[in-house]
Amino acid sequence: MAAGYGWPQSVAVRAGGYVFVSGLVAIDPGSGERNNGTLTSEAHRVFRNLKLVLESAGSSLERLVQVHAMIYDRIEYDALNRVYRQYVPDGPPARTVWSVQIIDAFKVQLDAIAVA
Amino acid sequence: MPIAREIITPKNEKLNVSRSLNLPHSPGIRAGDLIFLSGMVSVDAATGERSLGTVAHETRQILSNMAHMLESAGSSLERVVKINVLLYDMLEFENMNAVYRQFFPLDPPARTTCGVQLSSGLKVEIECIALA
Repeated sequence: MAAGYGWPQSVAVRAGGYVFVSGLVAIDPGSGERNNGTLTSEAHRVFRNLKLVLESAGSSLERLVQVHAMIYDRIEYDALNRVYRQYVPDGPPARTVWSVQIIDAFKVQLDAIAVA
Repeated sequence: MPIAREIITPKNEKLNVSRSLNLPHSPGIRAGDLIFLSGMVSVDAATGERSLGTVAHETRQILSNMAHMLESAGSSLERVVKINVLLYDMLEFENMNAVYRQFFPLDPPARTTCGVQLSSGLKVEIECIALA
């Protein structure tokens, strides 16, 4: 997902029983296309990508411990939460929402730490 | 042997903002030897209401509540290894530091401070990773 763009980062690193996941944005994992859209559509894509990355590393969404949810504008906080709770319905991870500028006009980016 | 994952909550239920505001995150997660806390904002420990004020006031309230949260899980501020401080305006950096120093007088944790947008007129949000 990041390798295709030549960014100098790994998608995830496993270390000491934890999995550290790079900031993920709404990229189609099959084609590598950017799926820019609404915050809601991007958040669904990013969560599906996060699931894929974690499961590839022997972890899962249920094993997330901390998430930084970055959004482009605080006004989308509730829109983020509506999608967010669908993917971590029970015992969700610790989280902080950061309202920041995100690369390539994306509206949401998630970085995460999970237990392997 | 996979690392165990456990939700941690404050002993003072008024400080459980995830529950009172129905937000999709846990107050904290213990994973192995580390505790990860969600971003905390200024909340009155007696009423559970948000406590808006100056950067100094909010920083003091948050770090007091963070101490309680960590102590509820058998940790403490002395065991914090990394802190992220979010400020509504970096102009207030030294106002935050003046209070922050009182809570971490010796060997303070690694820290990053950013100026970001916050919700509901709040000026400060702080999250941390601590040793369990």
